[in-house]
Amino acid sequence: MNTRSIRFRLTAWYAGLLAGLLILFGVSIYIGLGHYLRSHLTDTLTKEARQIGETLLVNVGLSGEAYVVDEIKEHFAPEINGLFLRVTRSDGSTLYESDSPKDASFDPRHVPAARLDLSQALSQVERLPGGVEMMICAVPFTPREGSRFLIEAGAPLTQSESVLHGLLLTFAVGLPLVVAVAVAGGYIVMRRALKPVGEITRTAEQISSRNLSERLPEANTGDELEALSLALNKMIARIEHSFRHMKRFTADASHELRTPLTVLRGELEAVAQRPDIPTDARETIESALEESERLSKIVESLLAISRLDAGEALMTRERFDLAELVADTVEQMRLLAEDKRITLSCSAKDAVQVEGDPGRLKQVVVNLADNAIKYTNEGGKVNIRVAAVDGQALLEVSDSGVSIPSEALPHVFERFYRVDKARSRQMGGAGLGLSIVKSICEAHGGHITVESTGGQGSRFTVKLPLDNADWVNHE
Amino acid sequence: MRILLVEDEEKVSRFIVRGLTAESFAVDTAPDGLAGFELATTYNYDLIVLDLMLPGLNGTEVLRRIRNADHRVPILMLTARDAVADKVEHLEAGADDYLTKPFAFAELMARIKALLRRGSVDRPSILRVVDLEVDRLSQQVRRANRRVELTAKEYALLEYLMANAGRVLSRTMIIDHVWDQSFDGATNIVDVYVRHLRTKVDEGHNKKLIRTVRGVGYKISDEADS
Repeated sequence: MNTRSIRFRLTAWYAGLLAGLLILFGVSIYIGLGHYLRSHLTDTLTKEARQIGETLLVNVGLSGEAYVVDEIKEHFAPEINGLFLRVTRSDGSTLYESDSPKDASFDPRHVPAARLDLSQALSQVERLPGGVEMMICAVPFTPREGSRFLIEAGAPLTQSESVLHGLLLTFAVGLPLVVAVAVAGGYIVMRRALKPVGEITRTAEQISSRNLSERLPEANTGDELEALSLALNKMIARIEHSFRHMKRFTADASHELRTPLTVLRGELEAVAQRPDIPTDARETIESALEESERLSKIVESLLAISRLDAGEALMTRERFDLAELVADTVEQMRLLAEDKRITLSCSAKDAVQVEGDPGRLKQVVVNLADNAIKYTNEGGKVNIRVAAVDGQALLEVSDSGVSIPSEALPHVFERFYRVDKARSRQMGGAGLGLSIVKSICEAHGGHITVESTGGQGSRFTVKLPLDNADWVNHE
Repeated sequence: MRILLVEDEEKVSRFIVRGLTAESFAVDTAPDGLAGFELATTYNYDLIVLDLMLPGLNGTEVLRRIRNADHRVPILMLTARDAVADKVEHLEAGADDYLTKPFAFAELMARIKALLRRGSVDRPSILRVVDLEVDRLSQQVRRANRRVELTAKEYALLEYLMANAGRVLSRTMIIDHVWDQSFDGATNIVDVYVRHLRTKVDEGHNKKLIRTVRGVGYKISDEADS
């Protein structure tokens, strides 16, 4: 699972937020309920203490203390109700104290002695030895005649604690369950919502300069994704438009440049054919013809580059053995090397299957080999190697010739760039050969690099994708 | 031999007419597609040279109409565009050959002659210029009755020059014929091969047969030196 995907991150955020909120909610309920239970207990106990005072102790002078004790036992039955009741006289002696409750949840003898100096009702939690916590509410009461009493009513907190405990348990089980259901539901909803994104991505990946007329699927959902796909489609339309524009420009430019060149050349040739023209005029015409030839070549090369860069101009796409193509081509150029007494070696033994336009790739070999021979001095070496390396087809052309200055290296593939202007022009180059080579390599999904170390010549390295099916067979 | 030239660029039209007339062809011209189509269906031409970009009816349409009228006349398309798809499309639509501007007139001439020759078995097995002989069957070359040993490429080059004896062949034509278009980038491959061929064929002989026509290309002929 991709932990950086929107689906994962949104679900995680959402689950985290939900869990956090539920915990917050649970904690406040827990605290609130605990508070409520305690104050309710306090109220009940205080009320009972007051009741004892107002109904029984009020006439203690007339009824006598024994009556009060009997009445308390009868009406409140503290032992049965799990209550603690104590009535203390003002001198500190106990008028009444309840016995141990029937459930033995606390021992009344452990309840600390009453504080007689109270001027008003007070409730507080007492911790008895043995860990039992009790809420004790003390109410001072003064009967119509006689000295005042302190009435204490108490109950253990166990009951409200067990309610809270139950609540906690419910939360502990319920919360993860709720979060889990929410996460699963959220994930599914998210997947459905983001499904068009996957489709958009897949289609967008397949759109290249070759199929710009294709469009992304447009979900008519009226949501953000529809807006996104519409926006992307508009962008593709603009790119398609500019590509068309560029192609049109190339076609127009080639027509506009070629027609005058045709005329120029035709007229000059016609004059050159005439036997009666003076020698100096002939030389001028011949020189003009040479230049028109050169101009034609430049126009051809420029158009070839712009078509290659626009993703056109690969005549075919077929599988073939690059090693065989290179070996054949190099053989046909051997005389060029021999002419300069250059040792031309070619190591291309194992088949290297690639897919592409053999004519164009042959042009790459011809240009690189020609270049290497051109810039290598007499008696030098040119070595050409083809191999399958690291899952790529590798074509390496190295020479022992003039090395390229390091400041020129990044520019050698630029159009019209010449390392040594005077020398290159003299050799008839227009500075476009390597640009064409680069464009061809890139049109085949490959790339070209150059290294040159002082005094040791240069090395051009072309890497192309191998044709995988055959690569497996080959292995 | 009568040729129809459909070409809207007047200057291009003019030098082609001049060149073809010099080669003893009768040439009719049409400045637009409609006129071209009418002429093509009215007269019987031996060959039609058809420009692709024409006003009125474009070359593609003219080509289609002429072929629909079932004319078997050879058609050579001229174009200032060279998109590969165009080329294939036109050859499929019935063009017999295709030449991209700018071209050397020699190349146009060679292609016209090839189209006119097509079908007839006009291929002598022995080519001869003065005392230079090429035997196409045994692929043997003799100068003044002495065997000349050539490599395969040198032989192909010499045979091409001999088959077009007296005609200038441009470097592009030679590369396309003896090598292939991919070698266009090799700046001086033709010159190197011609030089080697010269040392084998012409060296030691008073009459030099292989000539350089500056700015155009090479030819083999028995003309006196100019």
